[in-house]
Amino acid sequence: MLFNSYVFLFGFLPPVLLLWWGLREKNLRLAFLTAASWTFYAWWDWRFLPLMLTTTMIDYYAALLIDRTDDERRRRLILILSLGTNLGLLAYFKYVSFFVDSLDGIGKALGLPVDLPTLKILLPIGISFYTFNSMSYTIDVYRRQMKPTKHLLEYTSFVALFPHLIAGPIVRYTDLAEQLKRPARVLTSRMAALGLFFLACGLVKKLLLADQLDPHVDLLFAQPDDLGFVSAWAAAFGYSLQLYFDFSGYSDMAVGLALLIGFRFPQNFNSPFKAQNISDFWRRWHMTLSSWIRDYLFIPLGGSHRGTARTTANLVVTMFLAGLWHGAAATFVVWGLVHGALLGGHGLLRKLGLTSPIVLLNRAVTLLLVVAAFVIFRAPDLHTAGLILSSMVGFGGVESVEQLRNLLSLEFAVILAVLFAFVQLAPNTWELNVRPRVAYGVAIGLASALAIMSIAEPHPFIYFQF
Amino acid sequence: MRADSDTLPRHLAPDATREGAGDSYRGLVAAALVACFGLLGAVFTLNVLVDPLAIAGTGLVEPAVETDRAVKLDLIEDLPQSPEILILGSSRARQAEPSFVRRLTGHTGFNAAVTGGTAADAWVMTLFAADRFSGEPRRFIWFVDVGIATNGVNPELLDDPRASRYFSGKSLDFTLDDVATYISPQATRASWRVLRACVLDTCSNRVRYLPDGSIDQPSLRFLPEQSASLRRSVAQLVAGTRARPPRAGGRIDPLRYVYFERAITFMNERDARPVIVLNPVHPEVLAELSKHGYPGRKSALAYLERLQRRLDFVFVDAQDITRWDGTAADWSNATHVNRRNMRRLLRYVVAESDGALR
Repeated sequence: MLFNSYVFLFGFLPPVLLLWWGLREKNLRLAFLTAASWTFYAWWDWRFLPLMLTTTMIDYYAALLIDRTDDERRRRLILILSLGTNLGLLAYFKYVSFFVDSLDGIGKALGLPVDLPTLKILLPIGISFYTFNSMSYTIDVYRRQMKPTKHLLEYTSFVALFPHLIAGPIVRYTDLAEQLKRPARVLTSRMAALGLFFLACGLVKKLLLADQLDPHVDLLFAQPDDLGFVSAWAAAFGYSLQLYFDFSGYSDMAVGLALLIGFRFPQNFNSPFKAQNISDFWRRWHMTLSSWIRDYLFIPLGGSHRGTARTTANLVVTMFLAGLWHGAAATFVVWGLVHGALLGGHGLLRKLGLTSPIVLLNRAVTLLLVVAAFVIFRAPDLHTAGLILSSMVGFGGVESVEQLRNLLSLEFAVILAVLFAFVQLAPNTWELNVRPRVAYGVAIGLASALAIMSIAEPHPFIYFQF
Repeated sequence: MRADSDTLPRHLAPDATREGAGDSYRGLVAAALVACFGLLGAVFTLNVLVDPLAIAGTGLVEPAVETDRAVKLDLIEDLPQSPEILILGSSRARQAEPSFVRRLTGHTGFNAAVTGGTAADAWVMTLFAADRFSGEPRRFIWFVDVGIATNGVNPELLDDPRASRYFSGKSLDFTLDDVATYISPQATRASWRVLRACVLDTCSNRVRYLPDGSIDQPSLRFLPEQSASLRRSVAQLVAGTRARPPRAGGRIDPLRYVYFERAITFMNERDARPVIVLNPVHPEVLAELSKHGYPGRKSALAYLERLQRRLDFVFVDAQDITRWDGTAADWSNATHVNRRNMRRLLRYVVAESDGALR
């Protein structure tokens, strides 16, 4: 079920809100919330529901067993079993076909007589997100950073909570523990107002902004050979903005929906295109993933305490895995490696005192690097990415006015310019102060209605594929 | 990602579990709900009243959709004698000239293809012509897509008593899907066009037809703008396919083919052996679809093969234009061949018709 669909907005959400706020008893409420979230998930494909239930139950009992013993070997063994199951399932569904195809390709390139079968394994939606949610829970218990919950329904609600289930934000148990222990009993008008505000912002970002860019961006990425300097940059900026409005729109909707059922989610985006360096970018882009990979990958690898070379290596390895998390494709891996190299390079420059003090210059350079890297993220393969990137550095020449007219519509150019100015100058959703004024309500309502009117043919969120 | 000595902020959404004194947001919430549902309601009401797609049946203003079903029925009524070949299909078949078919076969023809034509349209046109001319015509060329002329019944058919009599139990019910359609920007834009054209000006149909059902406008365009717009349209379709690759669907609902099979059965009962032509696909689009296995084509071929065990028809697969010497340039847009390619295609269809058009 998509947040941006009539069935969700008018068929699923209203009865869920009515029943959630109508029920009084905590266990009944959490059981209902879990069941509603499972229904939400099963709407896409019910056959994958048992998979999520398996992960949920394994991690719930693994955390209890880890907490129950002080024997370090036993604790580690249980953790390894839990992580092994999670990562094993993720690897099977997400990466097996990629590795088989890659092995086949390498074998053929080396002239070996290999002909491995092409596997077609359907990726369970949201698996990357709920696996990370769940893994952080057992790891935090293992690290003795928190006590596990003994309340099964609190845990099932945490894993399955429909606002974050499919594409995040990646929520940790520590974020929600208190909220699940004592769920809000009354929907206050402020909570409703903030929930509607975030939901409206998300709907507008997704339906009125990201989806409008979609056909133009698709068109440019479909003809990489024809792109020149201007159209290649337009493609790169177009996709970067589309991805930002699509994913931050989804995150806003998730935060808004969570507020409407009384939960507070963490912020996922903080004006990433205003970043002053690549490190700053990762503090602003997909923040819940950044903090996850930092706490559960980068720091365990040694973080930045073992010299410059080791720090750089740790960054590259961490970002390689972050790239791989996005998808089983060479493009995501290379995108991750590029970001690892940029982060390493920036760390080195900072250490040598070679970073520029000019804020505008830093912002511009960061923006161009991030946008260029997104070409690799979006392109269907590395060859296409290479073609577009080479056009971006001028190898494809500069288009004539006639060529530009064929490649870029005036509508696209105007949307790009307006949205670029918007992300550079306007405050983000979290920076806006919603005051209790009727005028704000009218604006929220009209914006929501305009977005809802555009749901004729809902486009899935880009991050659903991860 | 940054050095682990730095802190990474983790901001939760504001805590709004307590209602502060004097800062009630009730007015804001009420205003938001009223504004949202008020605007949706207003747009819906406007679109139902104007009814640009002719699905609500209010009939206050002329609809914006091309009313070529009624026009084609008018033309069939006005024919002095039965055509010997009936051409069926959607807008993709409208370029087929009965006069050219006559040159190839020696038989007179009528083009009964309509905009967005489905199997239900072909069913109506076939029965209407048969009723008008006592069982004639007995030769058919039916252009279909991989969806095999889906089962949807255009509201215009149900609205026209000459067509509605061929549907038992069908009604003009306004469904939930129609509500969604009538709050969409497309419908609202259509309403605006209808209001502007039919209230402020005089309505007129975009497409005009000759008495044999063919289009009264040249489609052989040689202007450079045409090739640029064709290139754009093809690139757009390729991009769309790449972004949303076709997927093999689950079990196909047999109800989807009811009118398709009924029409062929009706033709067979009159000793006619229709020629079913799988519409051409632009080579660049076909190449992209083939990369993804083109499941729609596979299921269409499998269905037609199964159907040939029960019903008698000739199948001509014209998807790949190289089979009939088509060119990638002779297209009006990414999905419609122009008249030049259509002539090549008709030559191939007649040659491959296994005597069904003799």
